[in-house]
Amino acid sequence: MLQKLKNGIVDSQIFKSIFRHGYPDNDLDRAYAIFSNVFLHIHPVKVRRSALRMRYTFCLGGITLLLFIILSVTGIWLMFYYTPYTGLAYRNIKDLQFVIFGGNLMRDLHRFAAHGMVLFVWLHMTRVFLTGAYKAPREFNWIVGVVLLVNTLVLSWTGYLLPWDQLAYWAVTVGAKMASYTPFLGQNGPWGPQLGFLPTNDIMFMLLGGTVVGQNALIRFYVLHCVVLPLVVTVFLAVHFWRIRKDGFSGPL
Amino acid sequence: MTNPAAGVGHPEETESGLNPSEKGRRKFLVAAGWSLVGATMAGSAYATYKFLFPPILYEPPTVFKIGHVSTYGLGIDERWKLKGRFWVVRNMRGIYNMISICRHLGCTPNWFPDQKRFRCPCHGSIYDAHGNVRGGPAPRTLWRGQITRDPLDGELIVNTVIRLDPDPVQTPQGLWVKEKVKEISPFYIGHAAPPGASCASNRLLC
Repeated sequence: MLQKLKNGIVDSQIFKSIFRHGYPDNDLDRAYAIFSNVFLHIHPVKVRRSALRMRYTFCLGGITLLLFIILSVTGIWLMFYYTPYTGLAYRNIKDLQFVIFGGNLMRDLHRFAAHGMVLFVWLHMTRVFLTGAYKAPREFNWIVGVVLLVNTLVLSWTGYLLPWDQLAYWAVTVGAKMASYTPFLGQNGPWGPQLGFLPTNDIMFMLLGGTVVGQNALIRFYVLHCVVLPLVVTVFLAVHFWRIRKDGFSGPL
Repeated sequence: MTNPAAGVGHPEETESGLNPSEKGRRKFLVAAGWSLVGATMAGSAYATYKFLFPPILYEPPTVFKIGHVSTYGLGIDERWKLKGRFWVVRNMRGIYNMISICRHLGCTPNWFPDQKRFRCPCHGSIYDAHGNVRGGPAPRTLWRGQITRDPLDGELIVNTVIRLDPDPVQTPQGLWVKEKVKEISPFYIGHAAPPGASCASNRLLC
C-alpha cells in the first residue's frame, strides 16, 4: 500500500519535473540527487570516511557558515521592527527587547551569533594557519578568507552602531576618527592635510556622510550592514567554497 | 566569401591578409570602443564618489557670528562655550578664539580665572590663556579656530572646523608655541585694546 503510494509519487509527472531523477535508492540516483540539486551540489557526491574526521578541521569553517546563516535569518527578523532613524532606532531596540514576542530572542541570537562568528572566523584561520593549509597553491583561497575576515569585522562594526545607544555612538565615533588618520585619505593622517583633506571631504566624511555620527551615518551603516556587506560576504563565500571543492586538496570534503 | 570577417566589397581579403587601411580601421574601432568603456567606467566611478559626499548636512552649526570686537572685554570669554564649544580671547593686540576641546582625549576643559589656567576635568591637562600646555597629558596646544570679519556689518565670524595647529616645542614650562606663530590671519584679528585696559590682571594678555 505504502509502496504503491511511493511509486505513484516518484513516477508522477510533478516529481520528475522537480527532481529529474529516480528515487535515490541506488548509487546512480543518489549521485543525481546531489549534483542535480542547487542546494546540495556544493556538497560532494560521495564522502570518504576520512573526510568525516572531526579532528583535522574541527568544522570551524562550517560553524562560521552556520553562524552566518543564523545571523542572516535573525537579522531579517530584526529588520521588521527596526527603523534606521535617530529618533526611533533606540526605542525600536527597546521594543524588540521588552515588548515584541520573540524580539529579545532574535536580538540575543543575532548578537551572540555575531560574537561567535568573529570568534570562529579567528579559530578557523588559526587552524588553517597551523595546518599550513594557506600555502601554495591555495594562497588565493587564503586571500579570499582574509577578505571574508575583514568583511566579518566591518559587519560587526556597522551593526554596533544600529542600537543607537551611548556604546554604539562612541564606539563608531572612535572608529570613524581612526579612519580620519588614514594616510593620504584622512584629514589627520600623514600627508592628508597636504593633499587638501578637510573634515568635509576626507574618508571619514565619506564613511559617516557627515562630520559627526548622525542620521547620515546611521542610514549608511544600516544599508552597509543589511544589504551591501552581506551580499559581498555571500559572493566571497561562494568563491571560497568553490575553490575548496575544485582544488580538491582536502579530499571529497 | 566564406570568411565573414572579409568585407563584402573585397572578396579577395582574408582574416590574415587584410589591407593596411582595413587593419587601421579595426584598430581604431577597438581603441574607440575601449575608450568609451573606460570613459563610462571613470564617469561612473566619479559619480559614485560624488554621490557619497552629501552637499548638505543637517548637523549642529560649526560657523558662528559672534558680534563686534567691542562686545568682548580683555581676557577669556566663555559665552560661546556651550553653544559653539570655543572661547573668545581678547588681548591687548587683538582677538582670537580657542576650541574648547582638550588635546588629550577630547573633553571640555574649564577656565579658572583665579588660576588663569584651563584645566581639563578628565585627566588633568592644564593650559594657559594662550592654549600652551602647562601640565598634564595633553600632547599638543589648544586649537585655534578661524576668525574673520563679516565684510557687510563688521561682526566677527568664527569657524570651528578650520583650525590652527602648529607643532609645539618642549620647554621647562610645558609645550609651547610662540604667539607670533599663532597670531596670524585668518586665526587672529588685530584690534586696539579696549579703552582704559591694562594687562596687569594677566600678563599673558600683553
